[in-house]
Amino acid sequence: MAQVISIDPVTRIEGHLRIDVEVTNGVVTDAWSSGTMFRGYEMLIQGKHPWDAQQVMERICGVCPLVHGTAASYNLDSAMGVTLPDNARLIRNLALGANFIQSHILHFYHLVALDYIDVTAVLQYSGSDPGLKLLRDNVAALAATKDLYPFLPRYAAPDYIGEAGGPGDPNLATELVGHYVQAFEMRKKAQEMLTIFYGRMPSFVGTIPGGVTTPPTLSNIAAFRSRLHDLQAWINDVYVADVKAIATIPAYSAFIKAGDSGGNFLAYGGFDQNQRGTEKYFPTGVITDYGVLSPGPFDEKQITESVKYSWYKDATEGLQPAVGKTEPQVGKAGAYSFLKAPRLNGKPMEVGPLARQLVKKDPAFMALATALGVLTPPVKFGIIPRIGARAVETLLISLEMDKWLDQLTLGIGKNIWDPKGRDIPNSSNGMGLVEGPRGALGHWITISDGKTGNYQAVVPTTWNASPRDKAGNRGPIETSLIGIPVPDVTNPINVVRCVRSFDPCIACAVHIIHPEHNGVLEFRVV
Amino acid sequence: MTGKMVTRRQFLKHAGATAALLGLSEAMIPQLAKALQELAAGKPPIIWIQGQNCTGCSISFLNSNYPGVAELVLDKLSVRYHPNVMAGTGQTAVQAIKDTVAAAKGGKGFYVLVVEGPVPTSENGEYCTFGLTDKTKTLANTNVQVPGDKTINEWMRELVPGAAAVIANGNCAAFGGIPAANASTTGSTPVSEVVAKIDPKKPMVNVGGCPSHPDWFVGTALQALIALGVLPGGTPLNLNENKMSKTFFGQLIHENCERRASFDAGLFLEDWNDASPDMRLCMFKQGCKGPVTYADCPTRRWNSAVNWCVGANGPCHGCASPQFYKELAPLYEPLPNVNFAGITPAADVLGWVAAGATAVGVGAHYLYKQLGHKPEEAEGGEK
Repeated sequence: MAQVISIDPVTRIEGHLRIDVEVTNGVVTDAWSSGTMFRGYEMLIQGKHPWDAQQVMERICGVCPLVHGTAASYNLDSAMGVTLPDNARLIRNLALGANFIQSHILHFYHLVALDYIDVTAVLQYSGSDPGLKLLRDNVAALAATKDLYPFLPRYAAPDYIGEAGGPGDPNLATELVGHYVQAFEMRKKAQEMLTIFYGRMPSFVGTIPGGVTTPPTLSNIAAFRSRLHDLQAWINDVYVADVKAIATIPAYSAFIKAGDSGGNFLAYGGFDQNQRGTEKYFPTGVITDYGVLSPGPFDEKQITESVKYSWYKDATEGLQPAVGKTEPQVGKAGAYSFLKAPRLNGKPMEVGPLARQLVKKDPAFMALATALGVLTPPVKFGIIPRIGARAVETLLISLEMDKWLDQLTLGIGKNIWDPKGRDIPNSSNGMGLVEGPRGALGHWITISDGKTGNYQAVVPTTWNASPRDKAGNRGPIETSLIGIPVPDVTNPINVVRCVRSFDPCIACAVHIIHPEHNGVLEFRVV
Repeated sequence: MTGKMVTRRQFLKHAGATAALLGLSEAMIPQLAKALQELAAGKPPIIWIQGQNCTGCSISFLNSNYPGVAELVLDKLSVRYHPNVMAGTGQTAVQAIKDTVAAAKGGKGFYVLVVEGPVPTSENGEYCTFGLTDKTKTLANTNVQVPGDKTINEWMRELVPGAAAVIANGNCAAFGGIPAANASTTGSTPVSEVVAKIDPKKPMVNVGGCPSHPDWFVGTALQALIALGVLPGGTPLNLNENKMSKTFFGQLIHENCERRASFDAGLFLEDWNDASPDMRLCMFKQGCKGPVTYADCPTRRWNSAVNWCVGANGPCHGCASPQFYKELAPLYEPLPNVNFAGITPAADVLGWVAAGATAVGVGAHYLYKQLGHKPEEAEGGEK
C-alpha cells in the first residue's frame, strides 16, 4: 500500500527544501522536491552601475558566493570586451579552486558523513589512539549531561550493524567523528587561503570587471601554497580515504546504483587554461540517456524553463533564460516549488561533480568507478558515485592548483587588470559560464544606457532540485529518489541520504525577481 | 569535544585570549572567564532559524577562530536547532525545537533565539517556510492530502515569547539587507520589527555585516547572556542606536584604517595594476565606504585575521552599515562631494548619503586638518 512521507525541513543542505515521497512496499515510488523560500533582488541593481552587479550577485548565496562572484566577473568582462590578463585568470582559478576545497570538505564531513555511521558507537571505542580515546571520553561526558546536540537526535539507520569495517564499527565511527572535528579546521584553512587574494570569505572584493585586485607576490604565493600543501595531504589521506571506506561498506552496496538521476548530465566546463578560455580544466559536454562514451556539445540556446509546477504565472512557460520572465504566483493550483524547471532540449539534466567527471573521465575517477562496479550493466550512477566524484575532484583540483601557482610566480610584476573593465558601454550583452562546486552556473547581463538592465542566472541546484516540467518529467533529484529503499516509513534516512548526495543549495536555486518589472528591466535568478 | 579538563587558571588564560580576540576591555576578563566556565558547565541552548537568508552568516560562524567552531558548538553552546549543522532532519529536527521550548516553559532552562535573514510577511508569510503544519494541502498530480508548510512568521510567533533574548544575526536579519529591496512583494521585515510586534519588551540585539563576523556574533551573544544575568557579570549591554554592540560597531572603519596615512597624504589607488601591497594606497576613489561605516574590520580583520577587504585592494562596501546595499550604491564610486582640495560641505552632504550623524567622520576630520583644531562636530563621528 502506498503511503506519502513529508520531510521538512531537509537539514544539512543550504536553504529551505521540502521533500515528499510516496513509498510502496518499502520502496520510493514517486517524489516531489519543493523549494520553499523566495527573496527578490532585481530592484536593487536595475538601473544601477554594472559593477555593483558583481557585489550583489555574490550575495545570492553565502555558501557559494565565490562562484557567483566569479561568474559575474566573467559576465561583466564579456560585456565590456575585456582582455583578461593571465595573472587574473590564474588568481580567479586559484580562488575558485580554494572554494571547491572548502565547499566539498564541508559537504562531506559536516553535511553527509555522519549519516553513514553510528555516532553512538563512539562510546564503544576500544582502540589505543590517544586522540580518539579523548574523543570517546568527551562524547561520553556529553552523553552524561544528556546534551548530545548537535550530533543527536537523528534518524538512526537500519543498516548500522556493528561488524568490523561496517557502519556500526566503533573504530570507523570514532575516526569519522574525529575527522568531522578536524574538517572544521581544514575547510577554514581553505577559506583563509582564498582570503589571501580576495580579502575575506564569505563575500569578498578580490575580483572585479577586467581582472583581480591583489597582485601576486612571492610572499602571498608562499602563504597560499603552504596552506594548499596541508590541504592536499589531508584531502588525500583523510577525505578520499574516508569516502572509499564508506563506499566499500557492503551494507551500502545498493547505493552504488540507487539514487540515479536518469542518465542526463550537463557540464559547462570551467577553470580556463588559456586567455580566451578555449581550453578548460573541466571540459564542456552534454551526456544524454547514459551515453557517457560520447558527450555531445553544449548549446545554451537549448535551455528553456518550465513553470507549470512552480509558483509562477503560467504565461511565462517555456522561455529561454535570456528572454525569460519570472512572476510569482503564490498558491497557484498544482504548483509546489519556488524553483523553476530548466531543461536542455526538453530533458532534465544532472549537474555537479558526477556530471563533470563523466564528461572529463579523469583516470582517477574512472579507477574508482570501475572498482565500485559502477560501469557494469545495468549502468546507473547512484549516491556513492556522486559522493565519490566529489572527493576525487577535490584532490584533482588541489593538485592542479599547484601548477597555477607555478605559473603565477612567473607573473609577478605583471598586470592583473585590464582597465577596459572600467569603460562601461552604452549598450552591451555579456555571458559568464563557470563550474561551481554544485555544478554548471551561468550569468547573463544586458547593459542599457550604461546601466544594468536585464540580469539572469541559471544555477546548479535549479537543474538538480527542479520540480516536474510541463511534459511531466520529474527533476533529477525527484527521479533519483525513485527506487530508494525505505523499509520503515517513520525513518526516511535513505531519502535524505540521496537528496544530500546532490549538495542542494536552495538560496541559489530560487528565482529572485520582482513581479512589478516593466518587461525590459528585469533581473532574475533561476 | 576539544574538551580538556580545564582548571580555573587555564580558564583565565583562555578568557584572556578570548577577550583580546573579541576586543573586550581587560577589566572584563575575570567576568568573561566566569562566563566561559559557566558556559562549559551548563551550555546555553541555541535555536538558530533561517528566514530569507543566504546562509552566509552561518558559514561565517563556521570560520570562527579561538574559540574554534568545534569548541563553540560542542563545548560552549548547546545548538539545539541549526538547519546546516544539526543531525536531525524533518520531524526529528522540529522535535529538538519542541523539546527546548517545552523545557523553557516548564522552568527547566531557557533558550536564545538566533535569526538569520529577514521575515517575509506578505501572502501570509508563504515566501519562506520550514516544517509542517496541521493544515493540509494536495500533493501535485495526486489527490493525496499532505501537511501544509509552516511559515517563518508563525515560527517567530511561537519562539519569540519563550526566548531569553533574540539575536538578529547579520545585516539582512537586522536591517533587511538585500531581500528588503523586494519588500513590496514579499513583505520582507527586519527581525527587530517582527519581535517588537510580538513582545516590545523582549531583549533583542542586532549583529551587522554581510556576512556578520564570527567574533561579532559570538561576542555579542556572550555580552547579551551576561547582561541578561544568564551568565555572571551583570554588565549591561552597551548598544548604539541601531541595537548593535559598541564593542564591535563603535568606531568608523576610516578612523582605524591601516591606509589612513595614504588618505591623509592624498595617495589614492587609481589603477589596480599599481596595487603593489607596499604602496597601501587609499581606496577612497574606488568607492570605499569606510568613512561612513561603523565596524572594527581594520583591527579585527577576517578569516583568522588573514586579511580584510581593504587589505585586498578592495574598497569597504559598508556591509555592516544599516544602509547597505541600496543607500550606499554605487559601490565603486567615491562618496559624493568630498573635495580633497580643502574645506567642503562634506559633513552635511554625506549626511544624507548614510543616515545622519554616522557620516560626520570624514568631513569633521577635514575641518580638523584644515583649521588645526578639532571642531565640535567631530564628536559625532564617535557616536
